[in-house]
Amino acid sequence: MIETQGLTKRYGSTTAVDHMSFTVQPGRVTGFLGPNGAGKSTTMRMIVGLDRPTGGTVTVNGRRYAEHRAPLQEVGALLDAKAVHTGRTARNHLRVMAATHGIPTARVDEVIEMTGLTSVADKRVGAFSLGMGQRLGIASALLGDPQTLILDEPVNGLDPEGVLWVRNLTKYLAGQGRTIFLSSHLMSEMALTADHLIVVGRGRVLADAPVADVIAGAEGSKIRVRSPRADDLEELLRQGGASVIATEPGLLEVSGASAERIGDAAALAGLPLHELTPFGSSLEDAYLQLTADEVEYHSTPVATTATGMEPAIQGASR
Amino acid sequence: MTATATPVRFQPTTSVRPPTFGRTVHAEWIKFWTVRSTVWTLVATVSVMVGISMLAAWGSTIEAVDAGSGPMNTAQLLSAGYQLAQLSVAVLGVLTISGEYSTGMIRSTLVAVPRRVPVLTAKALVLSGVVAGVSVVSMALSYVATMPWRGRLNATFDLTNPETLRMTVGLPLYLVAIALLAFAIGALVRHSAAALTAVIALLLVIENVLMIIPLRAVELISPFLPSTAGRRVLFDTEMLGATDVMTEGADLAPWLGYGVLLGWVLVLGALAAMMLRRRDA
Repeated sequence: MIETQGLTKRYGSTTAVDHMSFTVQPGRVTGFLGPNGAGKSTTMRMIVGLDRPTGGTVTVNGRRYAEHRAPLQEVGALLDAKAVHTGRTARNHLRVMAATHGIPTARVDEVIEMTGLTSVADKRVGAFSLGMGQRLGIASALLGDPQTLILDEPVNGLDPEGVLWVRNLTKYLAGQGRTIFLSSHLMSEMALTADHLIVVGRGRVLADAPVADVIAGAEGSKIRVRSPRADDLEELLRQGGASVIATEPGLLEVSGASAERIGDAAALAGLPLHELTPFGSSLEDAYLQLTADEVEYHSTPVATTATGMEPAIQGASR
Repeated sequence: MTATATPVRFQPTTSVRPPTFGRTVHAEWIKFWTVRSTVWTLVATVSVMVGISMLAAWGSTIEAVDAGSGPMNTAQLLSAGYQLAQLSVAVLGVLTISGEYSTGMIRSTLVAVPRRVPVLTAKALVLSGVVAGVSVVSMALSYVATMPWRGRLNATFDLTNPETLRMTVGLPLYLVAIALLAFAIGALVRHSAAALTAVIALLLVIENVLMIIPLRAVELISPFLPSTAGRRVLFDTEMLGATDVMTEGADLAPWLGYGVLLGWVLVLGALAAMMLRRRDA
């Protein structure tokens, strides 16, 4: 579990990370989504203690990274595919990392095989393609069999087969109860890989919610609901905070609530549903909208909402 | 708000132990020998030292000026190449740390050992051991290689003579200190080209130029500069005397001079450690 509390990083007059507070839970893949320069990499570097926060705190499993007895067992990090000496072979790089924690050579061979580097393990890293470098970075992150895995843009430079591999690997690792935190600026990839999203822009958390809720929360994201008792359902949904338009008798267009919530609410109230169809939104819409909102917040000093999915819902209900 | 299944509790299967100082040294040892540039620098150091010892021995047989009065001291021949050797060990010292910054490796290193300062100490230890070893090997090879000339020079090598002992032990000690000085500067500057320029400028240009500037302030400082002070441990009485006549400032006793060099190393090393803890990597 990763927890940040008011995490802030300033470089001179620029604020890269601005009072970020969030929790990354174990057992699922949490995506860290935001445009370039949103502060994703800086945040990840602060988690493993490479950058010192200007303010706030960040802990992994309850402790600061450096205070763990065996840090590589706690957190495996791919922060930069180029964090390797170019003159060393992939195997020797992993041997060096393993030596610091007394990790057996068998584990080095294991991660080499796991990441598909067997044929190039004895080549110098300087000759590696970006994709091979990413695989080595992931191998290095997996070396200590860590409880928490932090991957900064892991699919960058990977071929489609590699992208699929990262997707399956992260899901598999999360299934083992590990904490998986991976960043990307690619919304489409996140929609497929992540269970939960933390969306950031200009160093601030814009949304922190399950992927489905982030999509549902986007303005323009609507759900078509057909029910013989549309009027009762309309009232019920309005009470739940969603906005509802009755387009024709027996047909509603709902925004501000996910299909799951509408279905659950209807079932609880015993209202029959004949249709429940989300339309008109994707994670991409949600994401663009969130980051656009962020610019809006920036120019007009409105009271900023801290965490949670409030911004998304506010955006939707406006 | 969706109810999730009972979370699986993660069970690690790989044996992982804490990054003790011993393991950090082991990792640095592997690092040192798995990069080609360090190996080549060592080969260059040995070649330069043996080559110059041979040239010095050969040259002395042609015009026995260098030999001075009395029998020649072999220790002087063995350390004849110190000026060039100090440059190659300085390059080694700088690259040991700046290479990590230029490639980005430092981030992997500091993630593995987040307490940071042990990394610096472990690197310094490995560097010292290797430079000391290489110096001793070079001296042994020089001893053998200068044999053909030593007979004609009437050169002696008597380690019971305190001065000979000091000069012999002094060479590895001097080169280790210079390598560590360069290492500390590399750690502070974090940039290969800039650090190399700084170190080489200090050893080759600044110290030698300052020695001949006839300003009182400079004359007072000059004897305390790292190499000027430290290299006195390599000089015999005759050479020390000649240097003292040429310069106006303090005339440091050989071991005191070496102590001054060590002082530089410790101060710059402590500064590097402090900055390593403080700065973002």
